[in-house]
Amino acid sequence: MRTPVLELSHVSKTFGAVQAVTDVSLEVFDHEVVALVGDNAAGKSTIAQMVSGAFPPSSGSIFLDGAHVTMNSPRVAFELGVATVFQELALCENLDVTANVFLGRELRGPGHLLDHKEMERLAREFISQLGGRIPDTSALLSELSGGQRQCVAIARTLVANPRLLVLDEPTASLSVAQTADVLNHISGLREMGKGVIFISHNLPDVRAVADRIIVLRHGRINGEFAASDASYEEIIAAITGLVRTRD
Amino acid sequence: MLKHGSFWTVSVGPGSQTSLREANAARVIEAVRTYGSITQVELTAVTGLSQATISNIVKRLASEGVFRTENTIRSGRRAQLVSLIRSSGLLAAVQVGRRAVKVAISDFSLNIQKQKVLPLPANHRSDTTLDRASILIVDLIDQVGGDVDGLSAVGISLAAPVDPESGEISLPGILPGWEDLDVASVLSRRLDRPVAVDNDANAAVLAESRMGALRSIENGLYIRASHATGAGVLVRGGVHYGLRGVAGEIGHVQVEPTGLICPCGGRGCLNTVVGADALVESLRLSRGYSSLSDVIREANNGDLGCKQVISDAGARIGSVIADYAVMFGPTNIVVGGELATTGALLLDPLRDALAMRPLVGEGVVVEEAELGQDAEIYGSLYLALGESRRPEGLESSLTAPAMEKVRGS
Repeated sequence: MRTPVLELSHVSKTFGAVQAVTDVSLEVFDHEVVALVGDNAAGKSTIAQMVSGAFPPSSGSIFLDGAHVTMNSPRVAFELGVATVFQELALCENLDVTANVFLGRELRGPGHLLDHKEMERLAREFISQLGGRIPDTSALLSELSGGQRQCVAIARTLVANPRLLVLDEPTASLSVAQTADVLNHISGLREMGKGVIFISHNLPDVRAVADRIIVLRHGRINGEFAASDASYEEIIAAITGLVRTRD
Repeated sequence: MLKHGSFWTVSVGPGSQTSLREANAARVIEAVRTYGSITQVELTAVTGLSQATISNIVKRLASEGVFRTENTIRSGRRAQLVSLIRSSGLLAAVQVGRRAVKVAISDFSLNIQKQKVLPLPANHRSDTTLDRASILIVDLIDQVGGDVDGLSAVGISLAAPVDPESGEISLPGILPGWEDLDVASVLSRRLDRPVAVDNDANAAVLAESRMGALRSIENGLYIRASHATGAGVLVRGGVHYGLRGVAGEIGHVQVEPTGLICPCGGRGCLNTVVGADALVESLRLSRGYSSLSDVIREANNGDLGCKQVISDAGARIGSVIADYAVMFGPTNIVVGGELATTGALLLDPLRDALAMRPLVGEGVVVEEAELGQDAEIYGSLYLALGESRRPEGLESSLTAPAMEKVRGS
């Protein structure tokens, strides 16, 4: 058996009296895209934030490559190989593509000078690995389209060579052409051997690139589907609660 | 002319000034083709060539009628925007597969200006897909700096047999949800342009016969080995459709009389043995893969199990083609589709299966598609050009009414 890149075991999260996530167990393997879908407040983003170290679970355990981990800050999660792209991309409009990709993790050459050449080469390499098309890595971020920004945000996570990527609503408010780009980026990550958690509302997008779809409802898992043979109807029934696996 | 790869095959000595210049020019053209339209400054970043070199190459290719330049503003500075020249108007091509739709924009010389692939879910719905395809067409035209008014016609190819009379899919179950749908008129209504529709392998064989490995071949076969296997049949230089367009549907030839039931309703069709589901399923227990791209990637990476699965598929396809070849005697067989990206892994066992048959063992040429993974999209462009769909029995393409099957406006 393969060891999952990420395993959540009976994870719950409460905020005061509010139960945001209740007893969730799931696995993500390498070369795999797992989609989390559900209505607003179903617990998708809470799970993303626990996996990315924003806050620890109230109970339950998180395993990375089979090892039990405690991630109490995004930096710890990042060092353990979990990279997250949040819906607000957190990029700098006034910097160019390369500077954004390496922001806070700039490479230094001999004599502790910034190694601009190498950073530019790598930025170009990451973007082309993702199948992205940004002709000029010295273009300012403010000049890029929504799809290109998403590509920069994902390329940024590749600097640390993560094992798991969490993408929160990466195709929200993008045009069809830009959505095509982002979906191709996600397939690119899968080809590179990463495990990917893809959070989205859009079922056609999710079913296009995901291997498995996990439906969340009121903080619980309400169904898991193989993307290749689950129908829209089955998934929507699980999202809306027409079908319930447990109460 | 900017035909496929022409600049890469310039016959000058290696290392000479001329060959260097041609190689640089080829790099620039490739970059312009990739980005659609791009400024000279961006070209220096992409190609790594100096500003002066870029400027010279652009000037030369503009005077030779390859490039078109216009002034624009980038980052508040004046810049020269470079794009491929368009002979007259634009054509759009759409290729609908089981898991993706590909859209390309070209001029009338079939120089592809821009193309994009949108991944699709399994059993995607025709209304969503056609809607997204038409938005993509408009988007891409905008990106190459064109005008939607300049769009002349659209060609669309489907991963299912298409009845040349009705333009509808002639076998239910192969592309679920797309049956009983006049795809051409639906797309034509959305874009207000004439649309021609055909099967993807038929489109590919058309393209290979016009600009690929089947040029000037009378009798040939194009095999599309993808999520499902199909073929386009070339007879006396023209695409052969047969009854309701089912000619070449080799994926539905029976190979296992006691095998699984195929979505088409038949038992033990070739697709039930070499289709994506069958290939992935045979590796699921030992490898845990869940998509065809996994199998292809790992086979290319040397995984023994995946190589075995691909080469067995090659042998099974080869044996069906061999039967076909005995009956119809093609001189050339061209193999395309995703499985063909494994190269010899698929092709060698396929050739071996043919070589075992005394009648066709010698002399049948089997090779990879010259247009590679773009054969279907070039074919769809030819559909848009209105050159396909000649009536059965007519031999000269010139006598075919140009837009014989074209619907709409």
